[in-house]
Amino acid sequence: MSRWWRGTFGLVALVATGFALATLAIGVFVFETTHEALERQLSHRIAVETQALIAEGRGGPLGIAKAIRRRNLARSTSSLDYHLVDSAGRTLAGSVSLPVPTMPGYVELLPFTVNGQARIAQSLTTSIPGGSRLLVAADRSAIDAIDATVIRLFVVAFGAMLLLGVGAAWFVGLVTRRRLDRIERTALAIIDGDLTRRVPGAGNADEFARVAAALNRMLDRIAALMDNLKQVSSDVAHDLRTPLTRLHNRLEEALTSDDRNYQRSAIEAASAESRELLDVFAALLRIAEVEGLGARAHFADVDLSAFVTELVETYRPAMEASGHHIETQIAPDVTVAGDRRLLQRLLANLLDNAIVHTPTGTSVSVTLTSIAETPILTVSDDGPGVSPDEADTLLRRFARADRSRSTAGHGLGLAMVAAVAGAHHADVSIAARPGFAVRLAFVGTSLATA
Amino acid sequence: MRILIVEDDTDTRNFIARGLAELGHQTVTSADGRDGLFQATEGGFDALVVDRMLPGLDGLLLVKALRAAGDATPVLMLTAIGGIADRVEGLESGADDYLVKPFAFSELAARLQALGRRPSAIVEASVLTAGDIVIDLHRRTVARAGQRIALQPREFALLAELMQRPGRVMTRTMLLERVWDLDFDPKTNIVETHLSRLRSKLNAGFETDAIETVRGAGYMIRDKR
Repeated sequence: MSRWWRGTFGLVALVATGFALATLAIGVFVFETTHEALERQLSHRIAVETQALIAEGRGGPLGIAKAIRRRNLARSTSSLDYHLVDSAGRTLAGSVSLPVPTMPGYVELLPFTVNGQARIAQSLTTSIPGGSRLLVAADRSAIDAIDATVIRLFVVAFGAMLLLGVGAAWFVGLVTRRRLDRIERTALAIIDGDLTRRVPGAGNADEFARVAAALNRMLDRIAALMDNLKQVSSDVAHDLRTPLTRLHNRLEEALTSDDRNYQRSAIEAASAESRELLDVFAALLRIAEVEGLGARAHFADVDLSAFVTELVETYRPAMEASGHHIETQIAPDVTVAGDRRLLQRLLANLLDNAIVHTPTGTSVSVTLTSIAETPILTVSDDGPGVSPDEADTLLRRFARADRSRSTAGHGLGLAMVAAVAGAHHADVSIAARPGFAVRLAFVGTSLATA
Repeated sequence: MRILIVEDDTDTRNFIARGLAELGHQTVTSADGRDGLFQATEGGFDALVVDRMLPGLDGLLLVKALRAAGDATPVLMLTAIGGIADRVEGLESGADDYLVKPFAFSELAARLQALGRRPSAIVEASVLTAGDIVIDLHRRTVARAGQRIALQPREFALLAELMQRPGRVMTRTMLLERVWDLDFDPKTNIVETHLSRLRSKLNAGFETDAIETVRGAGYMIRDKR
């Protein structure tokens, strides 16, 4: 069985039906209560009147008959009728049209006729000493009238509720469906290949707009990843063609030569070439893995101050050997939630770059501060820097500044830095000139939840 | 050493087996995790080389099962490129060392040699001697031919690591892992520069080089001269 009621129309219809049924239940309850109360009230009146008649007539049939006649003349209690009969059933006083039951007690529905009209009365028959019986009866038409009013009232209310419910269900269903249709149309368009489509109506403040905005953000992210992927595939194809060609050529050389020594050196060169290719692939895979954000599962508190100090000391001999000066300014006790191994790679890449891409005599400066609880790590140098245009593209894979084309490397170091920074919710910025500086602000997860 | 190689890729398995045989080791090979575990539990191996991805039984599970059975044979685990957390998982499963493919054979050989020593469970000696060099790990002092030499902490750590295994090659990546706790090889020659400082201090006033460079493999300190 399909769960038809789970749609918007079904849900609203269900709620509306519920309200209508509740109205009906309240109606039945009100009807029952009112009806009972009225009947009790009538019985009470009849009983009181019977007592009064017996008291007025001093208990004897003649006295009571006289009292009945007095009442009928006065007609003060027009809604009540009386009938007094003797033991033989002959009328002593009152309305002949009212039949007197032989058994004493209440009869709720006593049929009688007035002016040829069939009516129903509520009555009390009382035995009087001497064998006669007194009947006091009240016409039930008043109760019936009130009953009818109550029923009419609630039938109308029930009908109105049902009508309103169906209307609401239809209207809410229509509005919801229309807004969901827009999302669906966007999704279908994207499935058909139009990746630029976005869900309209994201600017409002309602829940549909929020869903639309979230979907659009998701689509933006997917689009960015797709672009990235396309970029990477073409970059990989382009940037690996040269080393692969070199590898191929070296092996061809080795095959065509008869000189053992020449063969050996060609194979060694080819081996070095293939090793470099493997390194590039390893770096690409690692970047892809970090960008996949799986690294966050291993995050723990990292003492940035300690680890930056340590890594800089590890690099110090190499930097001094290559004629670079290194200065540090590291604030104590700066921590960040992260993966220490990835952060090591990040800083190592920045320091590697500083050594490889700047001339002898360049000063490299590593600073770690905490501004408003945000750890900021900066690696800068006073070298020749890059042009501002280049600075924007350096974080991409295989991006290389013009000046560094001749040096070793594949343009993956800063891409790894960007990937690790991304995984750590850190903003990366590059200051191009004078010198070169990479600044990482560990702004934390607040952006992700915003 | 008698070494069991559990590796499903035929080329890699033969490459390792041939190389180890050339070095004079006895090798037994297995291409399947379940069979590998069975062979390993038969015992008699000095070390195991286990690939992480195996048919039949995953490498991690193999090592776990072996360790659960109380077998402490040293295990060197191999894995394909990538997988930043792989190393941690590998070591947590009970493997003693971890090597990422593709690797140079010399790296594998050096690591296996380093592992082979381990189970002898040398009582952590505080004084290590190799040739004419003596270092005291507790007092953090170094002497060559009785002459005291002052070293920076990193230089001391580097020397201590080499002294732990005199006569055995330590590769650059092994030193990076053990001395600097780096699980990758940076572009900058960190090991070389630290080593050249250490060398210049150790060799000052001596004819012979205290630390031997093994071309294409790594570094080592001679046991005897």
